[in-house]
This record gives sequence, structure tokens and C-alpha cells, in this order.
Amino acid sequence: MKVALFLALTILGALGATAAAATGAPPGLLAGAATLAFLGLASAAGATAVALHAPDDLHEPRRARGPTLPSPVPDDGVTRRVFGRMWFAAFGAFGVLGLVPLISLARRPGRRVLTGWRAGLRLVDENNQPIRSDRLAAGGIETVFPQDGVNLPEAPTVLIRIPRELVTGAVPGDRAAAAGYVAFSKICTHAGCPVALYRRQAHELYCPCHQSRFDVLNGAKNISGPAPRPLPRLAIDVDAQGYLVARGDFDAPVGPDDWDRVR
Amino acid sequence: MIVRRVAGWLDDRLGTNAAVRYLLEKIYPDHWSFYLGEFALYFFVALVATGIWLTFAFDAAGSNAYASTLALADRSHPIGYVIRQVHHWSAVCFVAAILVHMGRIFFTGAFRRPRELNWMIGLTMLALASFTGFTGYSLPNDSLSGTGLRIADSVALSIPLVGRWAAAVLNGDDVFPGRLLATHLYTLHVYYLPVAIGALLSLHLGMLIYQKHTQFTRDPRSVVGRRFWPDYALRTVAVLGATMAVLTLLAALVEINPIELYGPYHPWTATNGAVPDWYTAFLEGALRLGPATELRIFGHPIAPVFWPGLVLPLLTFGFLLVWPFVEPRITGDRAAHDVLDTPTQAPLRLGVGAALIFDGILLTLAAADDQTATALHVRLEALVWAYRILLFAGPVAVGLIAARIGREMRARIVESAVYPSDATTLVRNADGGFDEEEPQPA
Repeated sequence: MKVALFLALTILGALGATAAAATGAPPGLLAGAATLAFLGLASAAGATAVALHAPDDLHEPRRARGPTLPSPVPDDGVTRRVFGRMWFAAFGAFGVLGLVPLISLARRPGRRVLTGWRAGLRLVDENNQPIRSDRLAAGGIETVFPQDGVNLPEAPTVLIRIPRELVTGAVPGDRAAAAGYVAFSKICTHAGCPVALYRRQAHELYCPCHQSRFDVLNGAKNISGPAPRPLPRLAIDVDAQGYLVARGDFDAPVGPDDWDRVR
Repeated sequence: MIVRRVAGWLDDRLGTNAAVRYLLEKIYPDHWSFYLGEFALYFFVALVATGIWLTFAFDAAGSNAYASTLALADRSHPIGYVIRQVHHWSAVCFVAAILVHMGRIFFTGAFRRPRELNWMIGLTMLALASFTGFTGYSLPNDSLSGTGLRIADSVALSIPLVGRWAAAVLNGDDVFPGRLLATHLYTLHVYYLPVAIGALLSLHLGMLIYQKHTQFTRDPRSVVGRRFWPDYALRTVAVLGATMAVLTLLAALVEINPIELYGPYHPWTATNGAVPDWYTAFLEGALRLGPATELRIFGHPIAPVFWPGLVLPLLTFGFLLVWPFVEPRITGDRAAHDVLDTPTQAPLRLGVGAALIFDGILLTLAAADDQTATALHVRLEALVWAYRILLFAGPVAVGLIAARIGREMRARIVESAVYPSDATTLVRNADGGFDEEEPQPA
């Protein structure tokens, strides 16, 4: 009787789920009806198993274990040791050959870091619009890119405007620094995440991935968290039309280091 | 009737009836914990079934990936929505079920001779399942998973000597994200990895049937339990139904991986409180606790992500892989075992397992250290240092305590076997004390 009820629930649930799908009902209804169908199935099978009252102390003997065949000795005119070593060496040679396709798997070996920055290039926002030197108020922050390079992976740069007397390490005559602008790579030197958060009061950049903090007033030096070095700095200036431009590329390699990045 | 005729037809050509009869009449021992692996099996079945459907609905090519996943996250198209939800839920449940099943195997000593190989196969499947999960999680090219891929790329790059080669293989290119990254993830996710899991799963189950199941019944000569047909066939259908019911219920109640809230991937966006799928969280936690020091070998840098991102998981995997061969060296017990231990019968194993679980939970918690620090009103740096100390001191303490508990409980069992409770009778003496009454010779 119980089993029949459970099976009826299964039928009801399955047909209900079909109807829900056919009528475009909300997904909760479809999944809920399917849940009933599966619950009915599980309960019916479980109840049948219990109702069988099958014996649970049946015995099945376990096999004896151990090697089934003695290991054969080759009869090839050479000693067994030489024989074994030659086989080993032959397979080893195939292993070496196998390295060829393995190494060639890297279709374009190496790693290019595409920042796109060079001297005189304007800073733009994510819509490729150039940035005027009055764009940000003090304490303001914006993600900027080299003109026409919004999609370059290592291009993203944070532009921050701080009180001008707090700017350090700027070249003399730098009009951007005189206005309080500093710019750093947005790609974390730890694992390449975007350093997306800025703590205005503390003048700190903060990586949401692994919580590295960088001191904006001190050349974006890594002050806490797993980042091993400061964020690279982008030297900037203001051009004749009043737009922010780069003075060159970053002062250090962008993103996490690797074995072949020898400095 | 039709079954009988088909069976007869097959038997006539292939001689299958003897094998089928053997399988149907096979005896399996019973214990609730023996069903844990079955849950994992059925989560995999659900993954394959929903995954096949999803390959027809999902467009893996570059910028289409996010849009086509968005269509599958649209509640006004309930079929795709439910199938994607069930798929993602079964992925996270699959890894969880494997881990719990592995815990059972570990603490009862089911991995011991002659089953060391099956333990290693199971462990490999755990690694493959996590990797498959990560590749699947990364397919939609949303903001969260794109950032995860960027971290994975950094970890690949950090490998000494061959880092750039590994990253170039992954990306199919010399930049991130490479031209072929999405294609590689898709092929891995829908072909190589699931086929590898399927093949290992067949080996796993075949070996289980061939070697026969372990049991708690102290009878080393024979398996004691019930027949497969109809007893376990019904039970396994019940487990199948329960597994699917859990998945559809979760799909009905809780939306997992709401990519419509995350937005598409841009290299310059990320948000606070971003957390990966739970089974990769321990790596995220390890990356957060990892050192900031960059080692240099002959001028070549080794990026800090190398240690928590690669060395730690590989060491853990290697340790678990060789454990069936390490344990007999320590205990001196090299015999074959078909009869299981209870967890407290093997104090060494209990201690080692408890220590590993402690560190696993700690690293997973560390993946949310920023939220935890905010909630507890402590400085993040203080919490990180507390976690770092606990990472090394915690497992030692927890392991020693667990091993001690195991030893005492084992001693109690041994005592009760040496001095059965009915053999000692206390008798009050004239001084008011108690004397043990000598057992009367029969």
C-alpha cells in the first residue's frame, strides 16, 4: 500500500514537472515537481527493500590472494640483467621522443606583457574617451587605459588624485603631479587580479582577491598581504590641450613575476 | 517474458547469463557508510546527463560564452535554468560526496592491502573532479571566473623552468587570456576530464566487485551481507532517487553561481567578497595566507603564488597517495585486511586524518578572511597571522588529541576483552573497603 502511494507520487511529480515545463511555469515549480517525483521513487524503492525482509547474513567466500603465475625467465642468449636494461632503455628512448610533441604543445611559447603605454599617449577611460586634467576631484579615482588599448590585458591603470602636497617621487616640472595625479598599474603583482578598491582616508589601494594593500603616498609600496613588490608606476603629464598623457611605460614589469622574468 | 528472451538471445551468442547471475547474486555487506560512494556515483550520473544537454545549449566561443550562459540563467526559460542549476549543484555535491566517501575509506582503513590501488584511483578521481569543476566554473567567462582564470594563469606561470611553457599551453598563446584559452577549457571540461573520470570510475567499480567489499563483520573468510538482486538493486535505486531529489530541491530553492549579477569578465574589474566554488576555496585561502617573499634562484624569481597555489595541493595529494604504503611501515602491519577498523581502533590514522581535516577547514575558512575580520571587528593582518600559526600548530594539537582519544578508546575495548565485566565482582570487606572476588574455577 505504502509503495503504491509512493509510486503514485512519482507519477504525479513527473507529469507535474512535464506540465510545468510545457506551460513555462517558474523554474521553482518545475524543479519542485521533479523533486516530488524523485522522492517518490526513492521512498518506493526503500519501502520495497524494507518490506522484503531479506536475510542479511548470507555468506560468500573470499578468494585466496597471491601471484597466479611464476615470473618467466627469458631465454635470449643474454643475461637477465642486460635483457631487462635494454627493455628499460628502449622505453626510455620513446619517452625522450615523446617530449617532442609535449614541448611543441605551447603554440606560442613565452609571454608577452601588453601594457600598450608609451610616451605621449593619452589616458582614456573604458569608452576610449581622453581624460582632461580637471576630470577628478581630490580623492577621486578612475581606471584608465592607453588610447585605443582598452582591451590590452596589462594596460589597466588606476589614476588617483590626491592632495598635491602629498605627491612624492615626481619628476620636476610634472604638471600632472603638480595637480595631484598619480597613476599605478591596476594588475596586482601577486596573482594578476585587478587592484580594484581604494581606501580614500588611508590612501591605500586594496586587492579584493587576496587583500594586498599598497601605499599610494609611497609609490604604491606593498605594505600588507601576499604581494611581493610595489605596483608599477606610470609617469604622466598634461599635454598642451589639457589632457593627461603618459611619459612612457611603467617603471617596472606589470603583474606577477615568473622564472624567465630576470631583472 | 521479453527480458527472458533478450537474455536468452544474448546468452546464446555471448554466454552472458553466468556473469549476470554472478553479479545479481553477489553478496554485499551492509553499513550506512557504504552508501556514501554511491551518492558520489549518482552525482556524476546527474552531471553527465545534464552536461550532455548543456553542450547543445551553450556556446563556448569567446564572447558568446557569457551571453549563452545568461540565457541559461533566465528564469523565464525554466528548462535550461533548472538543468544548468542541477548541473552546477551536482558539481559541488560531487566533490563533497567524494570527500566524505574518502573519509570513510580512510578512517576505517579500507585502503589497506589489497586495495591500495583502488584508493589511488579514487584519489585521482577527486583531483580530476575538482579540476573538471574548475574548468566548468570558468566557462561562462563572467567577472568572477575570469578573475579565477587570471589567478590560475599566474600559478601556471610561477612554475620554475617551465612556467611560461605551461601558461602558453593553457592559453594557446603568449598572452592572457589567450586565443585558445576558452577552447582548451571547453575541450577539457566536456571531453578529456569526464572521459578520464568515467574510465577510472569503471576501473574503480570493477576492482571493487573483483576484490569484494570490505566489512565490519569480523569474518575474514567470507563476505557477510545481502544479495545484489533484489535487495541492493532496490537500495541503490533509493539512493539514486534521493540524490536527484536533493539536486532538484536545491535547484528549486537556491540559485547557484548567479552570473547575471557578476557581469562579463573585464581584466580591470573585480569585487569584494568574491568567493570561488567551495572545493577550490582552500587554495584561495592558502594564497591569502601565503608569504609575500619572492625567492630568487640564480636571479630567477619564484613568484609567491607557487607555494600555496601548486606545492601545497601537490604535497597533500602526494601524501594521501602514498599513505597506504606509509602506514604499514609505521605500524608494521603488512597483512591484507578485508575486515574494517572502527576509526578509534587505529589512533595513528585517526590523528593524521583529523590533522588533515583541520587544515582543510582552516584554509577554506581563510578564503573568507576579509569578511570574517569585518564581522569579528579584528584587523585583517591579525587574523591572517592567527590563521598562519594555526595552520602549523593546529594540526599538531588536533592530531595528538585525536590520536590520544583513539588510544584510550582502543585500550578500553582491549581491557573489556581481557577482563570481561562479568568476571570481576566487588565484595565489601570488614574494613569498609572493596575487594575483588576471585573468579570461581568452573
